[in-house]
Amino acid sequence: MKAHIKVACSKQNLALIRDFVKSRLKDMKISTKESDQIVLATDEACANCIIHHHQCDHTTSIEVSLYKQKDIVYIEIKDKGHAFPIHNYEPNNLEDIVKKRAKGGLGIMLINKLMDEVQIEEHLDHFIYKLGKYISTSPDR
Amino acid sequence: MEINEIQESEFVTLKPVGDLDANSSIELDIHIRRLLDAGQINLLIDCAGVPYMSSAGLGVFVSYLDEFKDQKGKLVLSNLTPNVAEVFDLLGLSKLVTIINSKEEVANFFKG
Repeated sequence: MKAHIKVACSKQNLALIRDFVKSRLKDMKISTKESDQIVLATDEACANCIIHHHQCDHTTSIEVSLYKQKDIVYIEIKDKGHAFPIHNYEPNNLEDIVKKRAKGGLGIMLINKLMDEVQIEEHLDHFIYKLGKYISTSPDR
Repeated sequence: MEINEIQESEFVTLKPVGDLDANSSIELDIHIRRLLDAGQINLLIDCAGVPYMSSAGLGVFVSYLDEFKDQKGKLVLSNLTPNVAEVFDLLGLSKLVTIINSKEEVANFFKG
């Protein structure tokens, strides 16, 4: 069954999304390490939508769903408009980011390092970032 | 975000408290900028009170690395929680950012 939350596009709601994902992963008995990684990747993808797609317009919203299929946990972030190609985006290397004194550029790098599957589903009036992570069988002892 | 500032003899320590994400990292950014503009070029960020850090928090430190270097100053991080340290390692940032955990080493680093 999918757990689901719809939040207004405010950066303040990122904490709400993290708490929601963390709590559902705890119910699924996912290990703390894997849970922390999924929470971080979700936070990065949602921040991308809220800041870059919506310019923090709190009258708009995104939807986050979470479910487990066999040994993979999926996070789906549903948003309107056109998706940023997070799955095949080639970010600058770290040295370039330092040289440019840029504050951004690390989030998509993190999503791709933390998750095993990063996909985008394009629909007529919305898109879905679909992030998947293989889960080990042993939760925390 | 609560940010405590402590003036030491050789440097300033900042102790942020709480998650450092896209929302709260702006406050830390402003605080560092204010110190730099005031001529404070030796800065220790004690991250013991930061249980979570997203790329926005990492980005604040990365964006200042060259500026501290240009001004012949030092930016040091200490007491990263294990999951925050893991994110630094994952991106290879531990090689770019100075991370020191013992008080003695920090004092020596700023004296040297």
